[in-house]
Amino acid sequence: MRLLIVEDSPELHQQLRAGLTEAGFAVDGAMDGEEAFYLGETEPYDAVVLDLGLPRVDGLTVLRRWRAAERAIPVLILTARDSWTEKVEGLNAGADDYLGKPFAMAELVARLNALIRRSNGVAKTELVFGEVRLDTAARAVSRAGQTVRLTALEYGMLAYLALHAGRPISKTELTEHLYTQDFDRDSNTLEVIVGRLRRKLGDSLIETVRGQGYRLIAANSG
Amino acid sequence: MNSLTWRLTLLTTLWVAIGLGLIAWFVVRTDERQIQTAADARLGSLLDAVVAAADFDPAVGPLLVRPLADPEFDRPLSGHYWQITGPGGSKATSRSLWDSRLVPPLHEPEGIRARDVDGPRAERLRLLERDVQIEGRFGRVPITAQVAVAREGTDEEIASLRQNVILAFALLGTGLVAVVALLVIWGLRPLRRTRQELVEVREGRRQHMDVAAPIEIAPLVAEIEALIEQNRATVDRARNHVGNLAHALKTPIAVLRNALEAGDVTGARTQSATLERLVQHHLRRARAGALAGTAGAESTPLAIAEALATALRRLTAARGIVIRVSGESEARIRADSQDLTEMLGNLMENACKYGNGQVAVRVEQAAPGRVVIEVADDGPGLPEGEDGVALLRGVRLDEAKPGSGLGLAIVSDLAALYDGQLTLETSPRLGGLAARLDLPGRLGPGPYPGPDPYPGPDWPGLSAPSR
Repeated sequence: MRLLIVEDSPELHQQLRAGLTEAGFAVDGAMDGEEAFYLGETEPYDAVVLDLGLPRVDGLTVLRRWRAAERAIPVLILTARDSWTEKVEGLNAGADDYLGKPFAMAELVARLNALIRRSNGVAKTELVFGEVRLDTAARAVSRAGQTVRLTALEYGMLAYLALHAGRPISKTELTEHLYTQDFDRDSNTLEVIVGRLRRKLGDSLIETVRGQGYRLIAANSG
Repeated sequence: MNSLTWRLTLLTTLWVAIGLGLIAWFVVRTDERQIQTAADARLGSLLDAVVAAADFDPAVGPLLVRPLADPEFDRPLSGHYWQITGPGGSKATSRSLWDSRLVPPLHEPEGIRARDVDGPRAERLRLLERDVQIEGRFGRVPITAQVAVAREGTDEEIASLRQNVILAFALLGTGLVAVVALLVIWGLRPLRRTRQELVEVREGRRQHMDVAAPIEIAPLVAEIEALIEQNRATVDRARNHVGNLAHALKTPIAVLRNALEAGDVTGARTQSATLERLVQHHLRRARAGALAGTAGAESTPLAIAEALATALRRLTAARGIVIRVSGESEARIRADSQDLTEMLGNLMENACKYGNGQVAVRVEQAAPGRVVIEVADDGPGLPEGEDGVALLRGVRLDEAKPGSGLGLAIVSDLAALYDGQLTLETSPRLGGLAARLDLPGRLGPGPYPGPDPYPGPDWPGLSAPSR
């Protein structure tokens, strides 16, 4: 899952980047409103963490511009200004969630996961594919009751395929959502990751659709 | 232009122009008449002289038995003329008329008739005529005697009079306007002085306003002085708050640093929570401090509840909570709308958090001058006898749900600031908790009932009656 962090305080920016990367997100950052608007316009992020008090263009304006340009990226506002008046203004400007500073990294991660699930039309936190269970809240994967350890990239790919289960996902789309902007994108790595996921979770889980990319078999209920 | 000096001067000019204009017109008219009357009187005595010297000879017609004293009547076209008309239209005229004639007589009304006519040189003449019976050598004969004198002299006199009057009144008017302008400028000098003092106070060159102002603006100066005092108090209070906050933060920071150095993660976490709570608390205090002097603010609870419901529906989109807002759309509450948003936001968020998917917000008038907003949910509600506990700062009844536990305490504090109160009970309709926020307010525009208008949060001696 690829995130855009918009935060102008260098320390918090660094902490957010570290914490969210550790949580398995591919993280791009912007330090001011103009850069944020540009990145949000051009890159296919799965969610945005947006501070409100930004240099050049403030956060609410950035958000309103995205919405005016019909960019539907889920946006979580992260700000010290957390009075209800400000929350109402932010949410009614098109934000999907609102978190006040100070905050716990774990809560931010949980909210972002919930936001991404919701934006993909998935209500449940736990997704089941045959004997594979994916808990998107705990970021835990198990196969036949046994916990399977995945790297951040492996988990990211599995989660992205799982949220779009039943639909073939092109390598380009996967690359865009798994790697940050400045990452050296080598599509061979995708094949390596898919190979590792098949080895860990079973060959039948991810199928290769010729010319179109990869597809996760549709989720079972339960 | 929006200037007092201008306005007053303009009004004065208008009034002076109209007033003096009317008086000047009246004076000129009166004097004109007097001049005319005097001229007519002179003309009248000439007419008498003509009548006295007139005689009638049936063979010759009318004639003067002796010449008039004024030689002007003998100088051709001199501007002094006489003419006597006898029975049958026979005429005698002064030599000055030469071969022209004065206008024929009118014969009525009776007595001396005065009018303006054109003369032989096409000049304007003042003409007096009179019908008389003369007792001559040849018996009683009716004749008409006419005397005319050029108007030139009279007209010049009148013109010069008019010019003098207009000049005099124009001078007087200009003088009056100038004096008024001076008066206004002089009269407004205390205002300028007050402004200057205010500038000095603002720039810190002066502590207080000089209250020795004229009685008309002394109250204004006193009010400004009071405002300055209030500002100073507010600044002092703010400074105090900042000081308090800084000091309150020092201890937890010290403990936090020690905990971090000792690698005590739990201790550090506790301290950071303490810090967070302190900051929250002081933010509220700051807000409450800012409230002093914002009396008169009004907010519309239904509109605020609806905006909050929209925001909360977004926040809780995944849970599909049904939030219903109903009640009096015209209701208004005597509270700053940010504070009402804060109170309602906390209550409605709680209802979303602890309820099972049903939240109902209702705005109604409880009693004249009081508006109640009830936020009800279908959650477990409060256990019997726990009402007060939840209101205590930092205590949460259900520790499992996220949140700082400050929500209800903040609402209760804010409500108290506005002479209102928060009560918790069980909702009869939804079965869960019903939070009732009772605040001063009214339905629709209009005056507040009761003799005691909302005194503002920090009004001394008028605190909320205990209920």
